[in-house]
Amino acid sequence: MNSTLNLLIGMAMGLNLLALGGSRVPQVIRAVAVQGIVLGVLPLLLEHDFGWLVALVAVITVMVKGFLIPGLLNRAMRAAKIEREIDPFIGFVPSLLLGAGGTIAAVAGARMLPLLPEHAGTLLVPGALASIFTGFILLIGRAKAISQVCGYLILENGIYLFGLLLIRSTPLLVESGILLDLTVGVFVIGIIVDRIQRAFDSLDTRKLTVLRE
Amino acid sequence: MTAGPPLLLAALCLVSGAAFGRRNPRLWLALTLGAMAAAFAAALLVGVGAADWEWRSSLAPGGEPVHVRLDGLSALFLALLCVVGGAAAVFSRGYWADAGHPGSAPANRMWMSLLLAAMGFVLLASNGLHFLIGWELFTVSAYFLITLEREHRAVRAAGWLYLAASHAGTLCLFAFFAALSVRTGSWDLGPLRERADLAPLFWLALFGFGVKGGMFPLHAWLPSAHANAPSHVSALMSGVAINMGLYGILRFSGWLPVPAGAGWAVIGIGAAGALLGIALAFVQTDLKRLLAYCSVENVGVILIGLGGALLGVTHGDEPWAELALAGALLHVWNHGLSKALLFFGAGSVLHATGKREMTQMGGLWRAMPWTAGLFAFGALAISGLPPLNGFVGEWLVYLGLLNAAASRGSAVWAVIPAVIVLGMAGALALATFVKAGATVFLGAPRTRAAQDARECGPLMAAPMLALAGACAAIGLAPVLFWRPLERAAGSWHPQWVDSGAPAPLAALGAAHVAMAVAGFAAAAFLWRKVRVNGVRRAPTWDCGYATPTARMQYSGGSFSGIAMGWFAGILAPERTRHRPHGPFPVRASWLERVPDTVLERVMAPAGGAVMRVSSATRRLQHGRLQFYIVYLLCGLTVVALLTWIGAGQ
Repeated sequence: MNSTLNLLIGMAMGLNLLALGGSRVPQVIRAVAVQGIVLGVLPLLLEHDFGWLVALVAVITVMVKGFLIPGLLNRAMRAAKIEREIDPFIGFVPSLLLGAGGTIAAVAGARMLPLLPEHAGTLLVPGALASIFTGFILLIGRAKAISQVCGYLILENGIYLFGLLLIRSTPLLVESGILLDLTVGVFVIGIIVDRIQRAFDSLDTRKLTVLRE
Repeated sequence: MTAGPPLLLAALCLVSGAAFGRRNPRLWLALTLGAMAAAFAAALLVGVGAADWEWRSSLAPGGEPVHVRLDGLSALFLALLCVVGGAAAVFSRGYWADAGHPGSAPANRMWMSLLLAAMGFVLLASNGLHFLIGWELFTVSAYFLITLEREHRAVRAAGWLYLAASHAGTLCLFAFFAALSVRTGSWDLGPLRERADLAPLFWLALFGFGVKGGMFPLHAWLPSAHANAPSHVSALMSGVAINMGLYGILRFSGWLPVPAGAGWAVIGIGAAGALLGIALAFVQTDLKRLLAYCSVENVGVILIGLGGALLGVTHGDEPWAELALAGALLHVWNHGLSKALLFFGAGSVLHATGKREMTQMGGLWRAMPWTAGLFAFGALAISGLPPLNGFVGEWLVYLGLLNAAASRGSAVWAVIPAVIVLGMAGALALATFVKAGATVFLGAPRTRAAQDARECGPLMAAPMLALAGACAAIGLAPVLFWRPLERAAGSWHPQWVDSGAPAPLAALGAAHVAMAVAGFAAAAFLWRKVRVNGVRRAPTWDCGYATPTARMQYSGGSFSGIAMGWFAGILAPERTRHRPHGPFPVRASWLERVPDTVLERVMAPAGGAVMRVSSATRRLQHGRLQFYIVYLLCGLTVVALLTWIGAGQ
């Protein structure tokens, strides 16, 4: 079972790099969607007794992260007519290199952490750290609001992976609450993106510096 | 009769004066004078009588019950407030009349009423919270009075400096009263001499009240505020408001125990302030700035007296301590009266010429004999020359300190230098006022404005005459004023009740009367001789030149040049000179400016450094979302590292 788990988390880590290296916005959204589906399946693997509640949450997670949120983002992207991330703060190759370095550091660093024996063999902790780091790189390195939303989603996926460590002590209800928050957050951001686009004729967050006061 | 009803009457008069005085200047003057007279009567009842007045009420504004008290110490300050406050009110009717200042005269009346009421309340308040409220009201109303002419840039800057400095002091007072209330469990104030754990709070009080009291080196706000305020406000600030700070130091050094080093510190600060204050005053060219620096010197003299008293009390209840304290208290009065008189004189000159620069005056005594005479009188009084009041106060301080020196205790090491400094400061004070009087009133007019000056009206001359009369009364009959001093000293240190006037005081009074009589006789003789023989008039500073001009006179800078040389290391004058060259020099000039050492060499650079750091910090808020996330990441990383290191230990 651990090998399946590690395979899925490894896939998620690969998708991180794909999101970092992609210059086209739809590609990044797709990477985030696939990552959401992959991670949504994980509770089914971790939970030994198959309750209907676990199944329900897994299904909802997959639906929301894999289809609903990417759908919302695609709509916002079409409304804003943005296809490409142009002139990012951190270039695509440097961010890819940073992401790869971060992933390696996460795998190496996780060995030094005092983990429970049942988690020591899995990629859960390195995957979570790598995703959080990737999310930060996207948030810092991209200028367009939609790309930053994608970074935020990957960051959240990393936190979700950490949450899976505690799956036996945290009720899934909490996890589903977080999911709901996330959906609403993306929904709101979708609206804001639209408004920013209409007000400033651009989604470049660098142009928002006049709003600092 | 108790002091309660007159105080209530005074409060009512002041509040209604603030409310209705804007429209009606005569009503305001009547109400203010009534209030001052009533409060003076109350102060007299307590200051000369035997019992303190205390009143508690169940009313609790701000959650604390009202508790006011008037004892010997506060009565002494309240009486001075009434005398100077009343004089300033009359003076402002002539000096800041509605005709000349239609915009600010109503505001002046309102804020003056509030200032007087707030200062009176500070003197009465016996609850820490109410004391702070009164103190803040006093600070703010004084600010509005200083900035009455706020269309001038210099006035705004002076007001701002005053407000900032005052609030730095108030911050300390907040800490002081809060710490006091935490340790005693209540905001109520009163004697707590046996609580030795409260002694360190003295330093907070010394700093907080010292800022307001113009204590060296916290005096940096004082010269510009006093110079730029209207003259009646300068008189109030210098004659009364500064004393509020001294009252605070005296009040809480009397009620609370003092740390062992307090006497040494206070006497040292006082000596430094006396010497440097008068040295700075000597080199000023602005008449009102000169007077303001002279206040720093006088606060130093008062602190020398207080420091001597503290030394005497902490070194085993020496009898000379009471003399030093009585001298300090009397000097509070003397300084208040004569400094108000001098500021009125400066105001009268400013009113007549429109100038504060002494280099643009000269020869004013011909046009303004009353102002010149009264200014000279005030100068004699404040320089501590017999037979006037300044001498009596300083003489008591000298007596206390010299007795201390004779007692051969360890206090000698502080007392003998203080006596030497006091002597030097007295000599320099005399030189300062010789310079000021000679430059302003003697010689020939240096400018057109000085030539066209006219004498001030009776509304401005009357308060000056009254203050001069008070100065003369203290000088000629000091024994009459011993009782309030004794009462005040008794409420500062309870063992000193009813100690009786020191024997030499009566002898001093008699000597002063004899000197005054001899002086009058000489003056009458001269006057007669002049009337009989007539006076031959010739141009001043003729000196054998073919065509003497007013510019050939000695300037103020020529008077102070020598002293500037003595203190050059500390005063650091800035000189711009263009020497004359060749047989037919075209231009030559000599400009000298003495900066306020503390303000421009210490505080301004420190403030500039704080501003630079602050604006550098502000650059972190640039509005770029991406960088904010970088801050977040850095913060998270630091927290994670700290947690890791903490877990490792």
